[in-house]
Amino acid sequence: MTDDGRVREFVTAFEELRAEVEKVIVGHREIINHVLIGMFAGGHVLLEGVPGLGKTLLVKTLSESLELSFSRVQFTPDLMPADIIGTNIIVEDADGRKHFQFQQGPLFAHVVLADEINRATPKTQSALLEGMQEASVTVGGVSRPLPAPFFVLATQNPIEMEGTYPLPEAQLDRFLLKLRVRYPAIEELNAIIDRTTQSRPISVDRVMSGAKVLAFRELIREVPVAAHVRDLASGIVMATHPQWADAPEVTRRFVRYGASPRGAQALILGAKVRALAEGRYNVSADDLKALVAPALRHRVILNFEGEAEGIDIDTLLGQIVDSVESTTTQAREPFVR
Amino acid sequence: MTPNAALERLVRQVSAQVRWRRVEHYALRGLFWASLLAVALLALKGAVGPLALPAAGALLVLGVVLGAAWGALQRTSRADAARLADRAFGLEDRVATALEWAERPDRTALVDPLVADATARVEALQSRHIIRRIVPREARFLPVPVVIALALMLAPALPLPSGRLPDFTPGSQEDEKEQRTGSGLLEERSRPEARERLRPPAFEEREFQARSGASTASTGGDLSAVFKDTSLSSQRPDFNSFLKRGDERLKLLEQVDRLPDLASDFTASQYKMVFRKSKALTGGLRPDQISPQKLKELLEEMERLGRKGGNWSGDVGEGMEALEGGQTDKAMEAMQKALDKMRAQEEAQRSGKGLRGGRDNERGGGSRDRRGGGEGGGEGEDFGEGEGLLPGKGKSASPKGEASRRLSATPYDVGVEGESRRGRKEGYDTNMTGRGGPMASRLNYLGVIGQYRKLMEDAITREAVPRDYHSQIKDYFQALDER
Repeated sequence: MTDDGRVREFVTAFEELRAEVEKVIVGHREIINHVLIGMFAGGHVLLEGVPGLGKTLLVKTLSESLELSFSRVQFTPDLMPADIIGTNIIVEDADGRKHFQFQQGPLFAHVVLADEINRATPKTQSALLEGMQEASVTVGGVSRPLPAPFFVLATQNPIEMEGTYPLPEAQLDRFLLKLRVRYPAIEELNAIIDRTTQSRPISVDRVMSGAKVLAFRELIREVPVAAHVRDLASGIVMATHPQWADAPEVTRRFVRYGASPRGAQALILGAKVRALAEGRYNVSADDLKALVAPALRHRVILNFEGEAEGIDIDTLLGQIVDSVESTTTQAREPFVR
Repeated sequence: MTPNAALERLVRQVSAQVRWRRVEHYALRGLFWASLLAVALLALKGAVGPLALPAAGALLVLGVVLGAAWGALQRTSRADAARLADRAFGLEDRVATALEWAERPDRTALVDPLVADATARVEALQSRHIIRRIVPREARFLPVPVVIALALMLAPALPLPSGRLPDFTPGSQEDEKEQRTGSGLLEERSRPEARERLRPPAFEEREFQARSGASTASTGGDLSAVFKDTSLSSQRPDFNSFLKRGDERLKLLEQVDRLPDLASDFTASQYKMVFRKSKALTGGLRPDQISPQKLKELLEEMERLGRKGGNWSGDVGEGMEALEGGQTDKAMEAMQKALDKMRAQEEAQRSGKGLRGGRDNERGGGSRDRRGGGEGGGEGEDFGEGEGLLPGKGKSASPKGEASRRLSATPYDVGVEGESRRGRKEGYDTNMTGRGGPMASRLNYLGVIGQYRKLMEDAITREAVPRDYHSQIKDYFQALDER
């Protein structure tokens, strides 16, 4: 198959997958797109939203659309790392001899739904770290690889913070994207009511295999990025650092820590998926700007003043992007129409 | 045509458009600044001469050419032109990415489809101007110098300042110049004549007789006669008529005998000198705190002065005896009595020539001799002497009468006795005659003086008091302050 044909195949597969998810999930087109972007970029996605918005349903539907194994872990305060990773248990063979055998935990699945991840203790949360970053877990001194593709979709509730353990920055950084699930519009709500209160069940077809997902991940990395687009990504990430010499004023005022290099990687990878999903062979500046908020909002930590002023991190990132654009592209193109 | 050719052509087109816009932009800027120079040049048309107009035109052309050349020489990079094309045609960075990645050795598999896609899209584009015209800020003000330049072109040359210093040469030299030039026009403009008319004549040359206008007959051909024939030119200051119609108070200057005796500096009198010494000795101190030695020296000096005709030698003697007896308070009282007598005698010697002036027969009691402050006659005698010399002593027009007079008329007021408090005193003894010396008055001496001082200053300002008398009047009040 030609490269052009691979791209067209990806575009088709992306749209089919989205269509399958949208059979169940009403609205949230952007959320679905970003979830798919995260999956094809090889990252993990954190979904944040109040209860009842369909976060868990979205992940379940996605897993049903893929020919991949799926496991769901409901995080609770008494959940232990062994409960998700697995543990060695004593088994007795046919000869009556007993030996240890590794019993895989729910983490050993292609798609893992970590529901309400912030309700587990940091000890259990950190058990996810190795699996998310290295795609392997170590139990009893033995490193065991996780199945590929491995994709963690975590949800958390921004309210009811009592009895929860907010994810540390180190673990947040492992998520490629953080998506905010917002309340549906009234038309979407009507559609949800119609679709979920009927007796006829909605069936979701499996439209993509794990091998395809891996192949598309390889294709994504071949999308070229122009130097000025890459510079824009670097500029945006650097502009989130208040210590940077050219940081904009809003950053200096409200930001404590800026995004890590993983943020720049997430920006470019997500932009590549977005470009390819739109049938383009290159990354544009608009792709980057569309991915800035989901890729950086959990990587930029506000300082006390920012928290006290109730600064919205998405608004702040928008101002940073505008500032970086005005100091780079616009300044060099005064005659453009 | 290679796949890149279309992209390269697009980039070249965009670069050319950018260059042309820059040429326009900088040419306008050059035109503006050159027009300012042209305006300056046209303003100096008179000095530059007929070359000003072509030079101004050449300046304008030069400004445009230089600006255009500067804009044409500005370089537009290929990547910038590609980005401009991407943004202008909505190509989403296809051209820039394709041109960049087509030349890279690490090109990926998707670069060829990218170049093909970008080329196809570029070839489908309609060629158009995508670079906007940016009018420089200066160009908005360009009509101003252009209009000014046109006006200056049509207008005659502006007169320029000569840059010469004012002529301070004497009139004689100017006259010589006039003779040399011999021009009638220059004669009219010549300044020496005007200066001669304005020159104040010497005091000896002044004419105090009013002159009629006929005396300044004009001569034929003299244009300055226009001014001489006016009614103003005939009016000369007539000081005699001014005196006739002027302030009656000026007549006082003729009546020498009515003038106050201000020639004598009474502030340097014997009494004043001794009074100052006594104040310096007794100021703020009780009698027992006064140095007997200094008091003795003062009494001796008063005795020495009394030998020249003073009538206070007896009091000084009493004081000396009391001092030898260790009675400082009695010595002080005696000294005070002697001081009073010294003052009374001095006032009598001045024959009451106070500031009020007037003839002797008009001043009531002016020549009356005063016989002792403490034992004098009635109230009229008390206050008639030296009237007008000091505050509280004259005939006041106030319906309440004089402050001192009321005090003396009320036995309860007069009878207030007792020791004054220690330290600096705000109350001052206004009894200048010596009568009732022990009964120190508590009138606010400074307040009265202040009122009179204010009246004096108003009078000096408003009334026609001769300037030479100002300093003496002020000295008088200064002397009162020192008491």
